Amino acid sequence: MPSKHIPDMTDEPCRRCKENLPVLVVRSEPLCRECFLRYVQTKAIKRMESFRVRNAAPDHQRKLLLALSFGISSLTLLHILDGQLKNQKQRTGRTGFALDVVFVDIPNAETAASKEEAFIKIQETYPGFHYNSLDLHDIFEMASEASLSSLLCGADIKEDNTPTEKLASLVFSLTSATARADVITTLKTRLIVEHAKSTGCEGILWGDSTTKLAEKTLSETAKGRGFSLPWQVADGDSPFGLTFNYPLRDILKKELVSYVDLIGPSLASLVRDSPAATQASTSSKNTTIDDLMKQYFESVEENFPSIVSNVVRTTSKLEAPAVDSSAPRCHLCSMPVNDGRFGIHGWGGDQQDGVDAVATPGPPKLCYGCTRSIPKPATNTSNRS
Amino acid sequence: MPPSPCALCHTNRALILRPKDHSKLCRQCFLTTFETEIHHTITSTSLFTRGEKIAIGASGGKDSTVLASVLKTLNERYDYGVELVLLSIDEGIKGYRDDSLETVKRNAQQYGMELTILGYDELYGWTMDQVVEQVGKKGNCTYCGVFRRQALDRGAARLGVRHVVTGHNADDVAETVVLRGDLPRLSRTTSIVTSTPSILTTHTNIKRSKPLKYAYEKEIVLYAHHKQLDYFSTECIYSPEAFRGSARALIKNLERVRPSAILDVVRSGEDMAKLVPGSDEGCGGTCSSSVPVAEEEEGGCGNANANGRTAGGEMASIEQHLAQSEVAAEHNLEVEVTTSSVNGAQNGSVPFTSGKKGRKNKAQPVPLRKLPKQVMGQCKICGYLSSQEVCKACMLLDGLNKNRPRNTIELGYEGQKKDQSINGVASGIEKLAVNGV
Repeated sequence: MPSKHIPDMTDEPCRRCKENLPVLVVRSEPLCRECFLRYVQTKAIKRMESFRVRNAAPDHQRKLLLALSFGISSLTLLHILDGQLKNQKQRTGRTGFALDVVFVDIPNAETAASKEEAFIKIQETYPGFHYNSLDLHDIFEMASEASLSSLLCGADIKEDNTPTEKLASLVFSLTSATARADVITTLKTRLIVEHAKSTGCEGILWGDSTTKLAEKTLSETAKGRGFSLPWQVADGDSPFGLTFNYPLRDILKKELVSYVDLIGPSLASLVRDSPAATQASTSSKNTTIDDLMKQYFESVEENFPSIVSNVVRTTSKLEAPAVDSSAPRCHLCSMPVNDGRFGIHGWGGDQQDGVDAVATPGPPKLCYGCTRSIPKPATNTSNRS
Repeated sequence: MPPSPCALCHTNRALILRPKDHSKLCRQCFLTTFETEIHHTITSTSLFTRGEKIAIGASGGKDSTVLASVLKTLNERYDYGVELVLLSIDEGIKGYRDDSLETVKRNAQQYGMELTILGYDELYGWTMDQVVEQVGKKGNCTYCGVFRRQALDRGAARLGVRHVVTGHNADDVAETVVLRGDLPRLSRTTSIVTSTPSILTTHTNIKRSKPLKYAYEKEIVLYAHHKQLDYFSTECIYSPEAFRGSARALIKNLERVRPSAILDVVRSGEDMAKLVPGSDEGCGGTCSSSVPVAEEEEGGCGNANANGRTAGGEMASIEQHLAQSEVAAEHNLEVEVTTSSVNGAQNGSVPFTSGKKGRKNKAQPVPLRKLPKQVMGQCKICGYLSSQEVCKACMLLDGLNKNRPRNTIELGYEGQKKDQSINGVASGIEKLAVNGV
């Protein structure tokens, strides 16, 4: 939802330039169009501080990967960075970093043709970057470790299946909408990481707004992944050997919506987002935990924006444990699992009193959260007595 | 379709769809499973020691009634060798607490447990009815919550009990994890045991624990129902059901989408508590060597009806407070020098410029601060454990007493005074007021 427009507040000029008429109120400040656009851009570019020209070695071009979903946030990020790079070039003759863009295609109802069209259009609008479009099932060919294949045996998938078949069977084997959404998002992140590594990028730029990071915080908390939150929300080193940055982390989703609105059709026409307002699904069968959190923060953001940013700020204060390269990792999300605490058993909340709490579960070693999403192997689930 | 048999005993008809994992159980198997899980919680965390005297914080509501019933059952079945007594706090709310206390009195007889009732009037010189009369219905839950925490500790000290168990359930814990961006508080709410190093008269710690920490609210209700327990189910008249906070609603929605979600939030909360900077609990509160210190809890009714603090008005005030902090963070230096009051109030929500990349910002006016580590001291008025010079209860009381009309005639006020001097809180306040004049 866009920020409040205030056609009738004409008596007070823009709080920043004190000249123009305000077009909207941002965090209780009436701002004009120019000042608002600058406000958003400054917030994003401030987060790119370490990628300024003066931090770039003259003999080495740093390369970053932008993960594009064609949603409002990642498109805005591309738009802003495009402007920043042009600006750097103009002022210093070089740029602080080079940008690659990747889009991961997730099989859904949309026609291949319209995706193709969008992909061509974006390259025309923002030329000069290296673009790639991947299919989600590429992950089965890219992930080097055997970890994913151990997952597949549970879902009854054979090694010689095509990647498309493997993905379809894996998704089909999941028993809830939450699990499907969760596994797809997890695989998507891993695919983007693998792609970044294979193309020599030192870090990934994600388009997540404050609101999205808050959603993710509570969503991952609800899915039992509290242990990996610092790696999923904070700027800096990820456990994957490259950095994660969220340049839009100080901007609310509704502010990004207004930004795209005010920039005009050149940007707005590129957006291929799911319908704006998240509809509360009538059946809880089709609702996912991610949906719930999205709805929750959409409403909180309206009246309590500081609560949204406080969630993110607080989470960023959590300290990620030091990662040993030999630390055991989850076979699905690839996060380091401290002390090898795999699975959902063996903690205070596991109430089975050790009856069938297997200390070291079989091949797919999954973290607590991923264990909740991936159904147990078909063997001996039915005969628990 | 033939009735499905119980998934555990395969003999009886399944009557209960278990909220936690949606397994179909018969009545008996459900009750046993529920009890066994609490037993598991108690034994795996070595919660009790033989010979210990334990006070159950009893309100007459479903949680504490189930807690009392289950603990009695388990103590007999597994021979824990602990002595169980009931401790009730009378907040002085007519039409609510007086009725629920009747329930506790019946429970005491049913379970053969000794019951002690301690009143706010006796401890603080104020009943909640009087507090509400003065401060209004809005915000009175803060008074009630702060008073209750101390009241339980004082009651326990009076009974010579060093361990108080409360009926906090998994939903309560999950709600707190989701609700607050208050990291120091995270370990307190997620750990099963907290302790109050009591500096009151005796030099003993009072241990607080929540054996129902992993029990779902829905299962507690089912247990009470199928065991036909006698409990009191009316909501506090000052904190009506309609006021239910959004965090609570969110937890319930999560449970609907994925039954394990409440437990998963609790697990996440435990794991996150270990990532709080400066925390030394590598064990998630399960080993006894590092028991988080329970501080006076702010706001909210202590138990199941923790609605007040999540209500709309409360969210608005948190929002306002945070927005101020954000402004303060942006104008970093000036604000810090000129308005000490803003900083004083921030406590726990210190504005950070987070992000490792941004940190090299050369214009960093203030060195990155560690999270405020709470240093525990003693309230200079009543001697209760407090991170501030004066504990919250005394601060609130001071405000109340200042505004108390001087000339009203109050029956029984003299009598109450005598009682107060035994406990020291209210009379301490009066002394301070005299000194201050």
